[in-house]
Amino acid sequence: MRITYSWLKDYIHFEENPFALADKLTNVGFEVEEIIPLVQPFRGVVVAKVEKVSKHPDADKLRVCKVSDGKESFQVICGAPNVAAGQYVPFAKVGAHLPGDFKIKKARIRGIESFGMICSKEELGLEKQSDGIWPFDEKYPLGADVYQLLAEKQDYIYDFFITPNRPDCLSAIGIAREIAAITGLPLRMPKVNLSSVVSNHSHPLPKVTIEDSDGCPRYSARIIRNVEIGPSPQWMQERLEACGIRPINNIVDITNYVLMEYGQPLHAFDLRQIKGGEIIVRSSRPNEKFITLDDKERILPESTVLICDRERAVAIGGIMGGQNSEVSSTTKDILLESAYFKPTRIAFSSKKLGLSSEASQRFERGVDPNGIMEASDRAAALMAELARGEIDQSVTDVYPVRIEPKSIRFRPERINRVLGSHIAEDKIVTLLEGLGLSIKGGFVTVPTFRVDLSQEIDLAEEVARLLNYANLPTHHSVQIRYDLEETSSDRLLAFLRDELIHLGLQEVFTNSMLKESEAELFQNGKNIRILNPISDDMTTMRPSLLPGLLKAVAYNVNRNMSDGRFFEIGRIFTNYQENELPQQPYALAVVITGRRYPESWNNPQEVVDFYDIKGYVENFLSKIFLDNFHFILYDKDSYMAKGETISIETGQHRIGLCGKISPEIVRFFDVNQDVYGFELNIDLLAGFLNQSRPYKPIARFPYSERDMALVVDQSVPAEEILSFIRRTGGKLLHFTDVFDVYEGDKIPAGKKSLAIRMRFQSMEKTLSDKEVDKIFHKIIKECGKQFQASLRK
Amino acid sequence: MLVKIEEIRKAFEKDISSVKDRASLEELRVKYLGRKGQISSAFTLMPQVPAEQRKSFGQGLNILKNRIEQQYQALKASFEETSRDTGRIDLSLPGRKGFVGRKHPLVAVADEIKDIFRGFGFTVEDGPEIETDFYNFEALNIPKTHPARDMQDTLYITEDVVLRTHTSPVQIRVMQRQKPPIRMIAPGRVYRRDTPDASHSPFFHQVEGLAVGKDVTFADLKGIIQAFAHRMFGKDINVRFRPSFFPFTEPSAEYDFSCVFCRGEGCRVCKHTGWMEISGAGMVHPNVFRAVGIDPEEYTGYAFGMGIDRIAMLKYGIDDIRLFFENDLRFLTQF
Repeated sequence: MRITYSWLKDYIHFEENPFALADKLTNVGFEVEEIIPLVQPFRGVVVAKVEKVSKHPDADKLRVCKVSDGKESFQVICGAPNVAAGQYVPFAKVGAHLPGDFKIKKARIRGIESFGMICSKEELGLEKQSDGIWPFDEKYPLGADVYQLLAEKQDYIYDFFITPNRPDCLSAIGIAREIAAITGLPLRMPKVNLSSVVSNHSHPLPKVTIEDSDGCPRYSARIIRNVEIGPSPQWMQERLEACGIRPINNIVDITNYVLMEYGQPLHAFDLRQIKGGEIIVRSSRPNEKFITLDDKERILPESTVLICDRERAVAIGGIMGGQNSEVSSTTKDILLESAYFKPTRIAFSSKKLGLSSEASQRFERGVDPNGIMEASDRAAALMAELARGEIDQSVTDVYPVRIEPKSIRFRPERINRVLGSHIAEDKIVTLLEGLGLSIKGGFVTVPTFRVDLSQEIDLAEEVARLLNYANLPTHHSVQIRYDLEETSSDRLLAFLRDELIHLGLQEVFTNSMLKESEAELFQNGKNIRILNPISDDMTTMRPSLLPGLLKAVAYNVNRNMSDGRFFEIGRIFTNYQENELPQQPYALAVVITGRRYPESWNNPQEVVDFYDIKGYVENFLSKIFLDNFHFILYDKDSYMAKGETISIETGQHRIGLCGKISPEIVRFFDVNQDVYGFELNIDLLAGFLNQSRPYKPIARFPYSERDMALVVDQSVPAEEILSFIRRTGGKLLHFTDVFDVYEGDKIPAGKKSLAIRMRFQSMEKTLSDKEVDKIFHKIIKECGKQFQASLRK
Repeated sequence: MLVKIEEIRKAFEKDISSVKDRASLEELRVKYLGRKGQISSAFTLMPQVPAEQRKSFGQGLNILKNRIEQQYQALKASFEETSRDTGRIDLSLPGRKGFVGRKHPLVAVADEIKDIFRGFGFTVEDGPEIETDFYNFEALNIPKTHPARDMQDTLYITEDVVLRTHTSPVQIRVMQRQKPPIRMIAPGRVYRRDTPDASHSPFFHQVEGLAVGKDVTFADLKGIIQAFAHRMFGKDINVRFRPSFFPFTEPSAEYDFSCVFCRGEGCRVCKHTGWMEISGAGMVHPNVFRAVGIDPEEYTGYAFGMGIDRIAMLKYGIDDIRLFFENDLRFLTQF
């Protein structure tokens, strides 16, 4: 909300300069987001008199003028139609510097030289758009600096951020009331004396019927006759413009002015258009249509408060007037509405209509139901004064159930307990009374304009903010309990993250909202869709971290950073069921792509393959102490490439997939190189992490090694052979692994040779060659039977 | 006795001719020039030398010592010469590197925040990102008609299920399952219906803080925020509290830190105000306590929020929030 500094001075005689006042208001909760000087600085502009105006010989619309600053005469070309000899004007000399970094230079316009510029208000930054130059109303001394003249009347616009709980401060008087509470100075309300301007004719009262008393608890109407429609005075227009409201005509401007002054929205109808001169307030009917004064036809949501005459709707209550009854240049008599509408009803209709106005913003937050006549009187008086209207003596005010001020329990010790302070009771009382609250017998009576005060705790805030938060005590120590239990998985996630980082992976953060087509590719169940997405790119909650990671790969690869080692830890969203929250387990995923080693003079030039990602997953799982996991071939159609994907299993559960991302999917994400990855469900994994791990004793005796090269069918998985060897070798076989694989012309076609190393070890003694060879030969023999394997010669 | 000197000289000449490498050179040095070497032990014979021969014995021994020393140094230098010629490596070439893993900058900042608050006796809690209307709004004293519930701000899954707009629902979940005293923070991802630009992201990260007890006061809130500011950004950071409004706290405050770049002097980053807006805080509203069955007459509490992304932006002088989620390696590898 915007209000000018000088406007606030109408109601209270404070001393603070504009910046000090802004600080004080910010400190009590009315943040001044911006202070805008009304006059932007400029220099080199002086008061000059237009001495002679003649036509430009070569241009119809240009004039050649002679202007004088009292000492010298200048020849200037002027294009404004309103320039005339005898005018006193702002004249920018050569070298002047105008707002918007505009410098005045000597110019030649259609062959005639021009030494400066006669300025409009627009050119001086005083209004948005000017129709011509600005002839002064007064004869200022010639040669006087125009900026200095204006700066004497300099004013500042405050742009406030008003929190939604304080609709009373969406007005000049509301802010002034707060200044009164801070400074202790008296508030001087506008003097409204209707007795001198009330017409003596006895006209019938406007008839008002409230059918929807829930939506409209109070409605007042009065008539102002014989108004002369015209522009409102300059001062009023300037204030409205400073508030960001466009001046229209004197009647509409007055209603807007009083809105900004009192915070009470008003509406002026053309009485001629109110059929029967009668107002009926009712709820809208299903699918009722209405044309608002912005010329749009709107379908009204059900139970919208409608202001009607005898035949038709004439306004949407509290939101916007109708085209059919607006004040026009031919309007003679005005029906002035000042009413109170129920906040929730206005909020509902405004939201459903997608129509928000200065009026609706105030009504939906709550105006003062007992302040509507004051605002109506003020507007009527201004209409008499500024539009020569005659005010009918009586007012119709329908207010069946009076809304009474609230009473709140008041315990000063409770306030001190919450604030951790020791403020004396009489100090607290003074502060609250300064806000217009009255205190009696342990209760505070709250004026109806303070819709935000409804509980005892609200009084604590009033006391705190008026004292200034900075002046309240600050505690530097507290007692800490040791028995609080941490229930989140935060430490587990940190542990997993550290291990992934140690493996050389870069962490990324990706959007949890995906394009539907992206999510679909990784979806097992039903998409979790957003009802009101920001854009088509963010409609669906991620069922997997992989799409986000693939986008990170694409981003970097497409910028020539083609070696990627990425991981992400975050929630994924699965298993959506109606009326229940979806499952949102934590997952972790890794993708790798590009070179196996960073590009360097001493690193081999190789790209990653399946065994790189498998190595990552093996290293990772062993580092996090996942017990009893195993891999099985995963051969289903999915986002992973068939034949290059394994499933990571523990017990009966699949905790994730590992392998090559399907090339089609990778291409879908605009990546043209192989990407390998794995994704694990952390919530599932967590249950299998080995928490207690007693150490295993280290053997004190030397071990013996035996190697063999087994030639088997290519289709035999190495892991099957290794686990067979482990079983066959018994407990003296400590370790076995494949150290070479050969396929080629030195062995029969369709065969492969696996070089296997075995390490034999006893905890009790040094094994003799004889003992070792016995087991070794048994393994060779059994493997031969089991896998039709032969030893490679 | 001079015969002895001659013996040592001959033996040395013989030994030095068979030195082939650095190891045998070293053996040679120890044998003749070492602390217990031939020369040293010959000097120990001095007392047995007849007085008239002592002078020439000493001189002769010194001459021999210098000679051995010279020959030894010459041979040593020649060995070094050879090794530089044959085994030379360019030590200035880059070392053999693998890929280096790093935390995301937001994680680094969140870790720092968690560390500080764990030190203050807070536990770290968590809650779902897809939340019910009850936890995200209703229980936090944000009734259906509140302006903050406009479709503009909140992303909905169904009419009653939302993407949480703040981490405050975790407060409710913790208060429901745990009796006071409570001291917790809850970091996590939140969502708003904002079109992305330099200062807005439709998802970002917050830390919620909550303390509930018999005598938790506004003064404690001021204290904890100040202590946090000092730990995070340094002792010279000032904290400012301004009145504000949140439905779930009363009294409510916005808090600012003095600018971490100019230390309050005023600079481009803080728009010459000397202050940086951090977030909101306040005393838990009695209606919130009532919603979770805690008696507001018996207990009081404070709650605060802060933006992880915002603090990271302040810490590193980042002016575009989108950088955190583009995952450009040139950005990520700076942290």
